[in-house]
Amino acid sequence: MSAFRAELTKILTLPGVWIVTGVVLALQAVVMSQSAGLFAGAVAAITPDGVIEVFAGLPQPADEAILGLLAGASLQMGPFLPVLAAVIAGQEFRSGQLGVTVLAVPRRVRLLVAKLLATGAYVLVVALLVAGTSTAFLYAAVRDWNPGLLLTGEAVLGHARFVAFAVLFCVTAFAVTLVLRGTLAGVVASLALTAVTMTQVLAAIALELDALLPLGAARNLLLDPGVNDLTASPGHGLAVLAGWAAATALIAGLALGRRDAR
Amino acid sequence: MIEVLGLSKHYGGRKAVDDVTFTARPGRVTGFLGPNGAGKSTTLRVLLGLDAPTSGRALVAGRRYRDLAQPLRTVGALLEGAGPVPERRAADHLMWLARSNRIPRRRVREVLDLTGLAEAARRRVKTYSLGMRQRLGIAAALLGEPDVLILDEPVNGLDPDGIRWVRDLLRDHAASGRTVLLSSHFMAETAGIADDVVIVHRGRVVVRGSLAEVTAGHASLEEAFFARTGDRTGGPR
Repeated sequence: MSAFRAELTKILTLPGVWIVTGVVLALQAVVMSQSAGLFAGAVAAITPDGVIEVFAGLPQPADEAILGLLAGASLQMGPFLPVLAAVIAGQEFRSGQLGVTVLAVPRRVRLLVAKLLATGAYVLVVALLVAGTSTAFLYAAVRDWNPGLLLTGEAVLGHARFVAFAVLFCVTAFAVTLVLRGTLAGVVASLALTAVTMTQVLAAIALELDALLPLGAARNLLLDPGVNDLTASPGHGLAVLAGWAAATALIAGLALGRRDAR
Repeated sequence: MIEVLGLSKHYGGRKAVDDVTFTARPGRVTGFLGPNGAGKSTTLRVLLGLDAPTSGRALVAGRRYRDLAQPLRTVGALLEGAGPVPERRAADHLMWLARSNRIPRRRVREVLDLTGLAEAARRRVKTYSLGMRQRLGIAAALLGEPDVLILDEPVNGLDPDGIRWVRDLLRDHAASGRTVLLSSHFMAETAGIADDVVIVHRGRVVVRGSLAEVTAGHASLEEAFFARTGDRTGGPR
């Protein structure tokens, strides 16, 4: 517990963490405000039998579509959250900070667990703020139609899925940064993982491979299969994200234990 | 008590530390001396669990450093190349260290006062002078009120007042029955503080004993060093 509190203190007292957090939240607000007019217009045009046309030529049941938008809105920040994790992990490789850290907590397993838990806890809060921002903007669009929709169990489940994705993907990015020993290297590796999914390189070869990438898994976990071409089930997506987090954390643990603390 | 027993650390084919053995006893300041590149910092890094030894053992208070439950309460260390993130405030740096070892919050204020950094506690470390950073490192070492102090080149960057303050601090620490291991390449400076001396050269211990024993028959500790090593350049291999 003491090591966890120490790691949390390190996170909260690093200006870079606040800057990246602020940028992520501001970016989410800007992106959502850009779409606000589109959402409001689509909601205003919902038919008496509850059909909405968010995307032209693609009518859907309104409640399903709004909940899908809610999940998709938060997922837009998916590529940026690992930068936060890389900044948190990368601080150890600046000015010999890792040496001081290991002096304070010399048992590497205990240290790694504390770091992962602290990073996960911080990212969880940021993810909740992102989800809250998405909810606030969508509430503005649906408040005259069905404001209770955003408080249903299904909406909460969507947020929980996003938060799970955010924490697991950031744990992965954190562990990768520890292995690569630098913020920039961690950011590049995380963005590379994202880019492979977004460019659909692997999906063009085999859908099964795309489903094994973190962001591909996130799409499978979060998005509505009715309007998105997904490559696996939500359960598969969650298992893949958990697998990435566990495997990279294990490798980071081995690296931390075997390498000198430099 | 610090015990270093047959310690070796190799990097590929290079022997940075080669079969080093010495003891630093309670109530005494032990000077760990040698030129730059002699293996002093590597020995301390292995002793403090940062680097893994190739062979041998290093014990503090009879245990490996990494086996200490709250190490900062037993050992205070200042190591070259191990410092705070420059963007963090000094007080925050000390606060996370305190939390990591369940050290009371009041100790942060006490060590800031003790090291003369109280006024600058809310400043970011990157705005500190070299001497202030050194004082912050010493503050971190003193945070847990440890029985053992291990300081690597503690007077680097300090002004004459600061050097005198460190000298008095180490003497007081040893006088209260605690252990001090002081690593330095300044032989004359260390001769003014140390009770015992261990001299390393090219990764090996060339002489160890009380200051009086080591300097017997020589005009100074520096002369004793050159006589033992036959090396006036003193540089690394």
